[in-house]
Amino acid sequence: MKADRRKLFQGPWEFREAALIVILLNAAGFAIQFALGGSGITMPVWPMNAITLTILGGLILTTGLSYRNNRLVAWLGGIPLGLSLILTLAALSFIGGMVPQESGSNPTAIRLGLHSIFSSWPFALVVALFLINLGLSLSWKLVPFRLKNLQFILFHAGFWIALSCGIFGSSDLQRLVVPVEEGQANSRGYIMKSRTAQELPFSLYLHDFSIEEYPPQLMLYDPKNDRLVMNSSQAIPEVRTGATAEWKGIGVKVIEFIPSGLPGKDGIPVPVEPATGIPFAKVSISGAAGEGETWLSTGGPMLKPGAVDLDGLFLFMVPGSPKSFRSAVTLSDENGNETIADLEVNKPVNFKGWKIYQMGYDEQSGKFSTLSLLEVIRDPWLPAVYLGFFMMLAANTLFFWNGIKKSGASS
Amino acid sequence: MIIDFTTAAYLSIAFWLSGSMLGIAAKSSPAIRKTATALNLGGSLIMIAFIAIYWQALERPPLRTLGETRIWYAALIPLVGLLVEYRWKISWLKYYCMGLAAFFLTINLLHPEVFDKALMPALQSPWFIPHVVVYLVGYVLLAASSVAAWHNIFLSWRLKEEKSYDALSHYLALLGFVFLTFGLVFGALWAKDAWGNYWSWDPKETWAFIAWLIYLGYLHAISHRVNRLKLQWYLALAFLVLLVSWFGVNYLPTAANSVHTYQQS
Repeated sequence: MKADRRKLFQGPWEFREAALIVILLNAAGFAIQFALGGSGITMPVWPMNAITLTILGGLILTTGLSYRNNRLVAWLGGIPLGLSLILTLAALSFIGGMVPQESGSNPTAIRLGLHSIFSSWPFALVVALFLINLGLSLSWKLVPFRLKNLQFILFHAGFWIALSCGIFGSSDLQRLVVPVEEGQANSRGYIMKSRTAQELPFSLYLHDFSIEEYPPQLMLYDPKNDRLVMNSSQAIPEVRTGATAEWKGIGVKVIEFIPSGLPGKDGIPVPVEPATGIPFAKVSISGAAGEGETWLSTGGPMLKPGAVDLDGLFLFMVPGSPKSFRSAVTLSDENGNETIADLEVNKPVNFKGWKIYQMGYDEQSGKFSTLSLLEVIRDPWLPAVYLGFFMMLAANTLFFWNGIKKSGASS
Repeated sequence: MIIDFTTAAYLSIAFWLSGSMLGIAAKSSPAIRKTATALNLGGSLIMIAFIAIYWQALERPPLRTLGETRIWYAALIPLVGLLVEYRWKISWLKYYCMGLAAFFLTINLLHPEVFDKALMPALQSPWFIPHVVVYLVGYVLLAASSVAAWHNIFLSWRLKEEKSYDALSHYLALLGFVFLTFGLVFGALWAKDAWGNYWSWDPKETWAFIAWLIYLGYLHAISHRVNRLKLQWYLALAFLVLLVSWFGVNYLPTAANSVHTYQQS
């Protein structure tokens, strides 16, 4: 900035006025938050949120277009205020990135909304002014429309739409957890936040829940120091027939691996079908204490894990972490519409305006779980938010292209 | 394990070091300069080959842990330096870039990670590779932009020189911002499929958003003709925020609640 001799609030307004206004806005926000005893802002639900947003958008557009030569309006939609608000959003987000959200013990911090910064009054006020600033600058590039402004329009309009619809639409989001047992149906979901139950317009029938696991792993545990002993290759050996592992002086070889087995009559494990058995491995161990062969197992609902004591170190086999888990379900609504679907993490399924997600299972039972936790979500504002996202991506593609083109000309 | 990270890392660092020394020593000879460039390129190619072998051995993309992302970063950032030299005939940037790459490989050498094939179900998605790779390219470009900005600050402080490379730091920041935006939006689209929310103010998301806002701020400051030296300071320091969002987050009090910690060791 040039050496600026003009006094504060003497026109034209610039960065100093913007910074001052934004600081005052934050002070007001925190004061309101504190006065209300820490209860953040709650957004209106449909249709009030849509009406409010339409009025806000309309007001910004008409103000921008009717008063574009007014100095105050020009400043309200200008870069000095915009930049100040961008950095303030970053600063408030910084609080949210440093202070654990939704948990805290300091009463003043809770009352100031530091533990719920993104639903706090200062955040809401800054976002509101930001939407005004962004909207005004957009209105001037929208009318009259010029093709060279396309990148600006796509980016700023995309951001405005994604931000406003994300915030105003958040109150219409429905998110319920539906627990279902194998061979049973459920049409009742639970809202985790308020711990209330709600009836769904459809029901979920669980045919089968299944988990696929990575192979079990061999680990050597040092109980004196409460830590795992690492071998030189820094790899945790996977259990496969023929696999070998070596720790300082202790060699282990897997002679036989039964992914799913149960002890037979003589105590020797025999293979059984996957749904009932647990992994067993016969290993030969060589080391300072001599050589020997033994069976290891990961343990299961009916059996204790089989570990080996090697001079104060314990060799044991841990079950592999889950590779995938899926629920085979039938979804049906009151009118008899039915869909059969396989639900998996990262593969939600759409049904009657809802998205159904594989969320979890009974982790105590692990792969023997017959309970599947599903999550059903309805987010009617999602298409609008995505429209905003894709406009921003389109703008950035143009930005990339123009940046490359320009940088070529200047070299 | 058939592959050995230690050997590959030392080999890459040796290539970069010998290439740099040769390049500095023989500025006048085009033939030796070509050899130097080949060595510099070779250092990155070793890392890329290592990533390919590692990928096969892990049976999943080596993009899950921070240590794994550092290997990609070390492979990619010298390439940015070499591209800048090829495109704009600016040769000093590559030395900083190779220095950074060697630094990140050294971190990995000092803190070896557990070789672990497991890829949690949440990460098994077509979005995994584009989301992380786009971010890594963004980080690499913005690191180079920050280095260029430090160089500009040094030039104007030490040499009182009028000649500066503001355009370089600017274009690198601009391209880096584009990649950050793609990474952020890809992450949001993926989060919707994995967790049902495109945005949930997870600490990693929050920090990615802060970093994005900081660079957005730069782009607005430059279009408002803010003093050039101030802008170079801004770019030089902005990268620190990016570092927090890349791995600093894991050490913050908020990390315990993060769904973005895929480190098991």
